[in-house]
Amino acid sequence: MKPTTLLRFNFSAVFLLLAAFLVQQFVPAFTGLSHARILIVHLVFLCAAVSVATPTMLLLAFIGGILWDAHCSLAPMLVDPEIYTHPTESLRFGYSILLFAGMGFLMQGLSPLFRKGKWQFSALLSGVATFLYLAADYALISFVRGDFVMSRSILRLMSYTALLTMLFSPLVFWLLYRLAMVFDHSLYPEAGKNKRRSF
Amino acid sequence: MKPLNLIALLLFLAGAMWALTRSEPVVREIQVAYFKAISPTLKSGSSLETKTRNLIRETKHSKELEAELSTIRGEIGRLRIIESRFKELELENAELRHALDFKKATRFDVVAASVIRRHPTTWWQTVEIDAGENRGIGIQLSVLSNDGLVGLIDRPFKNRSSVLLVTDEKCQVSVRIEGSPEVGILSGQRGEFDNNPTLRLRFLSKNASLQPGQRVFTTGRGGIFQPNILVGTLISVERGSLDSEALVRPAVDLSELSTVFVVLSENH
Repeated sequence: MKPTTLLRFNFSAVFLLLAAFLVQQFVPAFTGLSHARILIVHLVFLCAAVSVATPTMLLLAFIGGILWDAHCSLAPMLVDPEIYTHPTESLRFGYSILLFAGMGFLMQGLSPLFRKGKWQFSALLSGVATFLYLAADYALISFVRGDFVMSRSILRLMSYTALLTMLFSPLVFWLLYRLAMVFDHSLYPEAGKNKRRSF
Repeated sequence: MKPLNLIALLLFLAGAMWALTRSEPVVREIQVAYFKAISPTLKSGSSLETKTRNLIRETKHSKELEAELSTIRGEIGRLRIIESRFKELELENAELRHALDFKKATRFDVVAASVIRRHPTTWWQTVEIDAGENRGIGIQLSVLSNDGLVGLIDRPFKNRSSVLLVTDEKCQVSVRIEGSPEVGILSGQRGEFDNNPTLRLRFLSKNASLQPGQRVFTTGRGGIFQPNILVGTLISVERGSLDSEALVRPAVDLSELSTVFVVLSENH
């Protein structure tokens, strides 16, 4: 494998992640499904994580995590502490970087199978990883604020979000496959006999 | 572990530590840069969402909307009369305050804005409105609707702002209960993602004599919300060993929110 083709593919994965942030703006919450939404950013990261080497995955985790926190984090409430004696704590800016990396390492666990062309397992794992990401995110919020509450609506939100996100994973894998082709890079170098079964 | 991976991991951890130790102004700068970069897409995304929502709403309720429109027209006429009366009273009030040598003048300007996007994040109860710093909106200003308190400005940007809804756990409001000496802190409840979320009112006295149906208003204490804004209605009271808590139904139907008013008042 040529280093230049690998480098180009890695850059394209970074650009795809940045593009995912733009696409995410068009994705509304499904109010009928407990306000679940398709997490395009997470999906692109998870799919890219299994198709790149560890250093690139960490770079993607850093970019994805920091931009996601810029997208989501709330400002602290500046109030009179004599009246509001128990302010609600927030997670620190940047915590998503670590969560992204954790999910990235999870996805890389399946990279031997992925390199053989068995992307379907990675597609399924992207749903599991999304669910785990949301669960970890919620657990951290609960840890910081106290009172662990796990209601049905929270479970529904996490499940629907993971399911909806997972359904789009073949599309993202196809995009990555096309990008790899454009840059003369192979996503499935060990596919061998199973090459026909891949995209 | 390969040396390259180890170096990458160390660099990653250093980067993560850098991000985690950023101060609030730096975080704000990062957010401003991020939203500035995605601004064109944000506008298109918001307008697409608004159009879709309006289309669905219009299809569903075209007749209801017609009736509502005629009611609103009548209401506008009535409010214009009231507004003119308010202006007279405001003038009179200012004159009286001046006469009493008040150092601070009362200012209660509002900016009307439309909700352009709902719940853009997973866990927080927020909406985005189409008014920002270019219209005088700053951080932590109260946001109201015709029915009562909506929330507060969380992050103002140049021409849009993020509003933290009263149903979010982080949005705390100092409130009093109508017809009662009870005061407490009201906030949203974590994990309420249904269309009819309730609020939790805490720190009430142990033997608080309260009845469902009593209205809840802001006290004006604490530095954010003006006094006497309707927040909701009491649903139930739960008595504890040390204090009591109550559940409150928000006065505003946040699922149908379209126009809001940001209070630009400096003095509460």
